[in-house]
Amino acid sequence: MTPLATPDIDERLDLQIVPDLPWETVVWNDPVNLMSYVVRVFTEYFGYSTEKATALMLAVHNEGHAVVSQGVREQMELHAQAMHDYGLWATVRKAAA
Amino acid sequence: MSASTSLIVTRLEVVHLTDLVDQFADLVAESSESDPAIDRLTPDPYPDDAEAGAQFRDAARDDLLARRGADAAAVLGDLRTALGRTPPDTSGTDADDIVEIVLDADDVGAWLRTLAAIRLVLASRLGITSEDDRDVDDPRFGVYDWIGYRLEALIQATEPGGQGSGST
Repeated sequence: MTPLATPDIDERLDLQIVPDLPWETVVWNDPVNLMSYVVRVFTEYFGYSTEKATALMLAVHNEGHAVVSQGVREQMELHAQAMHDYGLWATVRKAAA
Repeated sequence: MSASTSLIVTRLEVVHLTDLVDQFADLVAESSESDPAIDRLTPDPYPDDAEAGAQFRDAARDDLLARRGADAAAVLGDLRTALGRTPPDTSGTDADDIVEIVLDADDVGAWLRTLAAIRLVLASRLGITSEDDRDVDDPRFGVYDWIGYRLEALIQATEPGGQGSGST
């Protein structure tokens, strides 16, 4: 019977502490949705304050897009789906390192 | 008891809106793959990753359109209730008769999402690609604007922290 090889403890720790790059949900500007509607979606769905929701909406409007949430991929996909439920245009991407 | 919101509109508007929402419900039920309006309602969350996008869309697209259908059904229910409540008028119904559409808090979301979606479909049909796109000769822009006004009014009437029962 051959002894079972066990991984070196240090190697295991190294693997476990490699961070998973966060993902983000991005909302893109569109020529149709009302600004007030976009603010409502952000406050209602994300629970953001009116101030934060308005700032995000203005970023979408003026810069073409804004990151509305960051986190694990599955959660960002859920958020994108919810944005689509409201008719917003949202994508999911890895956050920049 | 949830706060309710009232939309005060003309009978003609109710009839017209019912027709639009009906058409919208048919559209999402058919969910034609080749309809750009459906594309706009089911965007790709991974436009740079064809495989991830395809995986997501297969799972999510039908669910999304089904939720659209459920929202539309809720709106149609409120519209039909409103029409049904309009008392029969011995002098004949007039397009300008005032009708009150009552929305309870649970329906407001469905109304907001459906009105917004109808604007997206209209914009697709009208070829609107920028905020300034406008064809003054095309009467459908009037419909697009009208839905926009109603949506804006509903948003304001349902501002959280405002009066418990709003009316537009």
